[in-house]
Amino acid sequence: MSTRRLFVVSAGLSQPSSSRLLADHLATATARELRARGEEVEVRTIELRDHAHDVVNNTLTGFAPTALREVLDAVAAADGLIAVTPTFRASYSGLFKSFFDVVEEEALAGKPVLIGATGGTPRHSLVLEHAVRPLFAYLRSVVVPTGVYAASEDWGSGGGKAHQGLAQRIDRAAGELAALIAAREPVTVVDPFESAPSFDQLLG
Amino acid sequence: MQFGIFSVGDVTTDPTNGRTPTENERIKAMMQIALKAEEVGLDVFATGEHHNHPFVPSSPTTMLGWIAAKTEKIILSTATTLITTNDPVKIAEDYAMLQHLADGRVDLLMGRGNTGPVYPWFGQDIRTGIPLAIENYGLLRRLWREDVVDWEGKFRTPLQGFTSTPRPLDGVPPFVWHGSIRSPEIAEQAAYYGDGFLHNGIFWPFDHSKRMIEFYRKRFAHYGHGAEDQAIVGVGGQIFMRKNSQDAIDEFRPYFDNAPVYGHGPTLEDFSRETPLTVGSPQQVIERLLSYRTHFGDFQRMMLLIDHAGLPLKTVLEQLDLLGEEVLPVLRKEFAIGRPAHIPDAPTHASLVAAAASKDVLAEAQA
Repeated sequence: MSTRRLFVVSAGLSQPSSSRLLADHLATATARELRARGEEVEVRTIELRDHAHDVVNNTLTGFAPTALREVLDAVAAADGLIAVTPTFRASYSGLFKSFFDVVEEEALAGKPVLIGATGGTPRHSLVLEHAVRPLFAYLRSVVVPTGVYAASEDWGSGGGKAHQGLAQRIDRAAGELAALIAAREPVTVVDPFESAPSFDQLLG
Repeated sequence: MQFGIFSVGDVTTDPTNGRTPTENERIKAMMQIALKAEEVGLDVFATGEHHNHPFVPSSPTTMLGWIAAKTEKIILSTATTLITTNDPVKIAEDYAMLQHLADGRVDLLMGRGNTGPVYPWFGQDIRTGIPLAIENYGLLRRLWREDVVDWEGKFRTPLQGFTSTPRPLDGVPPFVWHGSIRSPEIAEQAAYYGDGFLHNGIFWPFDHSKRMIEFYRKRFAHYGHGAEDQAIVGVGGQIFMRKNSQDAIDEFRPYFDNAPVYGHGPTLEDFSRETPLTVGSPQQVIERLLSYRTHFGDFQRMMLLIDHAGLPLKTVLEQLDLLGEEVLPVLRKEFAIGRPAHIPDAPTHASLVAAAASKDVLAEAQA
């Protein structure tokens, strides 16, 4: 059995960051669910702030510097993606959007994605539904039904006791992502040179 | 091994004094740069083709014709000829005419090189860029090789009994390079016809250029034109030199920081590490350019960008002096060392005429 690759992106900017904390919880829960289904899992987490300059440079020059190139390739090769952003001005952060602007569109097509967001108040919780989910819908990803939003006060809500507790939502979302990943064949990355059409095909 | 320079023809404000050259000044400067390129012993001068501001070279054959009249040896080429939005009939005729006027000192680099809005101005659509490049070039080849052409395609009016004029000089069309940064389809096209492939990776890491070139070499061999290392490869580079490397960095930095394409993005240091840009002493430039062989194998043509981002004409001419006096002689000597005998030179008009003649002799002998 091949190892499933879970790629985790946190767009949190402060250190420590609540987005990173949520991303780690989601990743841990998803890995646990996958292992419960008999899958080997390899989790890789990045913080976008470490790649912020490269992302902007890629936007301006049209090519990814080597370190970012390696990240973009890893995103494309992942079996599942967890993407967490802080809520900025009622939407995802600009850095989060800029990163997904430089990921090749096709790289996320059909890929299972779990979306998460953090914010200071529960009033922003629909950011997942009106901003983040449409972005991944455009990228033709398969976004799990449960998005996980964590406001400051959620960190104090218990798992089992409160009906809408954060831990419970994390587990539900992780279960959905794990089920989607386990149901698919492991991702194989297509080499553009191997799949390039021959000249006869180009001539039509 | 051929060494040349290419100009994008951008009109850019000099960030050190805020002065923007007029179009006339920029066009005349490009001509001075071309004449100087011949004077310092370069093999090739190439101009880009653009139909949008702030670029001036919309009419390459007019520019190259002027240079042809004032030079003796240098090969005149393009840093892209838009095979997508130009009419292939007009390309066939324009460049055959230039070829006659320049006594054969002409070759071309085919490219799609256009932004989205440019296509519709010429009745085309960027989304069909690759099919346009395939179909238009197929027609161009026939127009140069067949005296009377009947043709029908998807993108252009059909032709009945058409003869493009003048016919290519000595019956031999200009040699064609194909350029593409990212599309394997274009490397495939170059390989299929046994044409040259020039990867102008000046904004790209070496390993990307290497992959494109290796793909072209493999396909060149696949189509039976020779071994992989005999494919006709060109590469791009970007340099700025002063005797003292720190002077080069200090002088070039404001141009780099404000340049079109990468200005206000990566640092000069990061960009120099990631891409072929080399800013420093002639010795550093020599070492970097020689290192291309370790990335790409033995190749046939190296084209350098030296005149963009608002650099004043005087500075560019000084760069050419340094290139001719200190860099070129060493590059020619070093690139020749260890170059296997079976690796061909870049085709020239003379070599193509000789090849055509020997083919005729062979055909007669077999008849």
